[in-house]
Amino acid sequence: MKELKILAVLVVIVLVGYIGIEPYAKHVMHGTIPPPDFSYLDLPKFEPVGDPKKGRELFKANCSSCHSLKADGIEAGMDKKTAELSFHVVPPDLSNVATIIESHFLANFIRDPQTATKNPKFAMPPMGYLTNDQIGNIIAYLKSTAKKELTGKEILHDACTRCHSVKYQKIPAETSQEHLKIYLGKIPPDLSLMGRAKEHEYLITFINNPQVLLPGTTMPRLGLTKEATETLVAYLDKIADPYKEQRKKIGIWVLIYMFIGVVLTYAWKRKIWKNIH
Amino acid sequence: MRFIDWLDERLAIRQLIRIMMTEYYVPKNINFLWSFGVLIVLMLVILIISGLFLLMYYKPDANLAFDSVNKTIMMDVAFGWIFRHVHAVGASIMFLVLFIHMARGIYYGSYKPPREIVWITGYILFILMSATAFTGYLLPWGQMSYWAAQTITTLFEKIPVIGPDLVIWIRGHFIVEDPTLTRFFALHVVFLPLLLIVFTAIHLYAVRIVGSNNEDGEPIPKEEKKKKGIPFWPVFMAKEFFVMTVFLTFFFFLVFFHYEFAMDPINFIPADKLQTPPHIYPEWYFLAFYEVLRGFFFSQNLGLIAFVLSMFIAMFLPWLDRSPIVSGKHRPLFQIAFWIFVIDFVFLTVLGKLPPTGLYAWLGLIGSIVFFGFFLSLPIISKIERKQLERGGDKQ
Ligand code: HEC
Ligand code: HEC
Ligand code: HEM
Repeated sequence: MKELKILAVLVVIVLVGYIGIEPYAKHVMHGTIPPPDFSYLDLPKFEPVGDPKKGRELFKANCSSCHSLKADGIEAGMDKKTAELSFHVVPPDLSNVATIIESHFLANFIRDPQTATKNPKFAMPPMGYLTNDQIGNIIAYLKSTAKKELTGKEILHDACTRCHSVKYQKIPAETSQEHLKIYLGKIPPDLSLMGRAKEHEYLITFINNPQVLLPGTTMPRLGLTKEATETLVAYLDKIADPYKEQRKKIGIWVLIYMFIGVVLTYAWKRKIWKNIH
Repeated sequence: MRFIDWLDERLAIRQLIRIMMTEYYVPKNINFLWSFGVLIVLMLVILIISGLFLLMYYKPDANLAFDSVNKTIMMDVAFGWIFRHVHAVGASIMFLVLFIHMARGIYYGSYKPPREIVWITGYILFILMSATAFTGYLLPWGQMSYWAAQTITTLFEKIPVIGPDLVIWIRGHFIVEDPTLTRFFALHVVFLPLLLIVFTAIHLYAVRIVGSNNEDGEPIPKEEKKKKGIPFWPVFMAKEFFVMTVFLTFFFFLVFFHYEFAMDPINFIPADKLQTPPHIYPEWYFLAFYEVLRGFFFSQNLGLIAFVLSMFIAMFLPWLDRSPIVSGKHRPLFQIAFWIFVIDFVFLTVLGKLPPTGLYAWLGLIGSIVFFGFFLSLPIISKIERKQLERGGDKQ
């Protein structure tokens, strides 16, 4: 009885300390993470509709000088080296972009990338001369080429790896470091362990809108859809902590083993202490 | 001839077992807190074994260290992650167990004569363990590893005259760099564990000589040992094994399901000497002392002196507390001081992780003063108790 009281005191002290240094201190240091906004309604309303055939022609005329669209056999008009020298970043392939990027965002983005991404130095030039119909046609075309289901790795490849490397998956950044440094002011961090370094909610909100969490950062807002963001972050979590399932499984067995140990040692103690007062 | 007889002839093994185990008596009136010493030994063994396995793949080089830990050990080596989790959580839990072991010693007056040497060797073990943890924390070469080492080594700069040169000598460079990593590695892996083992041996030898204290602080003369005690083997150890399995269950629960407190997420970002993280803090077991350092926010020099004092002052307990009454169980005044001290220590620990601004800064100052208040109250409490005893003696 007395010993249980001592144990209770220990448990209370440890718990109070734990709550203080973990949940409470984290709350004070990082605040609460604001929820993501996947509607992007800070941008003017723009629901693109159009004809993919016309879109294909418009794409070839306006976009393919910089972007490839491998799903439809379109190669970029410039090679990586030239692109790096011109923009300090390699433009992404756009085969699947319509599945990754929310279409209202994408429409606004094509007209004015700098506003949509909240990055005044965003490297793609604005195309104010395109009419709403033309933009609608281009997006209709992009939708026609895009796969409907993408894995986290594919999303990562199309949306992030022009800037970020993922060393532990042997994925280098497509743009070289010196150019990224010129373009973004710093070399973007490697994403191999981001899933462990940052909380799940943090990553979701950060990818949704980097400015909310790092005001003034040069990472652009990329306009990912809710599904794409969640698939991507699940993938980042997975590669950062590949043994999560195994850890749980082994953990349960170890605890069962220890529990048997507790029962046995308790029985032995009872036996030995029977005659001791 | 049986093997055991053969051994006995050569090593007097039976006599050894008798003296060390079956006829070594520990007091009856002790509670499970007296099992914590053996729990520390257990933790030390777990740390050494898990550390040895980590050592097989770890690379002490600023360019390789981070990946060797986070890729090779955590991802490529079969079950490497278990060893890392065990080692990191083990180091953290080692301090929890040490703090409880020390608090037990303080509450029951185990530092008093004739156990001063037990106390001092124990305290040296605490300092060695702290040094081991501090040097070990740099090895993964993550952001928090780097900046914690940078911040703490910078403290030495404030020492008059030799300070600036001393810092460079410790770091082996002007800032924390590859030479710092390699020397911390050498200390963490060879020198400090060796000292820990040596001092543990002395500590245990000293306990063996003076005997364990008990809840009532009552000295037990040799002749009464058998009557008032229980044999170390099998009686004491029967209970010890039970405590051990309960403790290990808790430990492995943390290792597999709740390790975040011991593996800071920020440390999964590689060290970057150009980017200071917004919040720098040490591991939880140093937070209270760290808060004493920051508590005297108006003077860095005062803070530094207070910090050093806070790390070492408990070593002088046998001389601060000269009351003839041994156990806190029979000292009402001491109990008040003790519990205020415990609450204050937890309070400082929590504050140590919070940003040192506004109200928190002032609370830190108050907490730091209370911390020293405990130690300064002891001579006074001793005096009062001695007077009371003398008066009580007159009446009888
Ligand atoms: C002058 C070259 C150039 C042209 C022409 C161009 N882009 Fe881009 N585009 C870029 C560059 C460079 C980037 C990458 C910028 C970055 O990531 O910072 C980019 C990025 C993009 C992205 C990715 C944005 C995101 O949120 O991830 C999309 C989508 C895109 N462009 C669509 C188009 C479309 C559609 C057209 C044609 C209407 C087009 N681009 C024309 C250079 C160009
Ligand atoms: C145009 C280049 C660019 C692209 C494309 C890009 N990032 Fe970034 N990212 C950056 C830069 C630059 C930083 C550094 C931000 C800073 O510290 O200010 C960064 C930082 C980050 C961070 C760290 C945030 C933090 O709190 O330190 C994460 C996580 C991240 N990016 C994820 C992504 C993901 C996921 C994608 C793909 C959906 C992506 N990034 C696409 C440039 C980019
Ligand atoms: C690696 C570190 C340490 C090890 C392995 C260790 C081990 C032990 C063991 C096995 C005992 C006997 C069992 C018990 O009473 O719990 C003991 C007793 C004791 N230890 Fe430690 N100890 C360590 C650190 C410390 C520290 C840091 C202190 C205090 C500053 C300390 C103070 C004491 C005291 C006072 C006793 C006697 C307790 C009594 O008889 O009431 N020890 N230690």
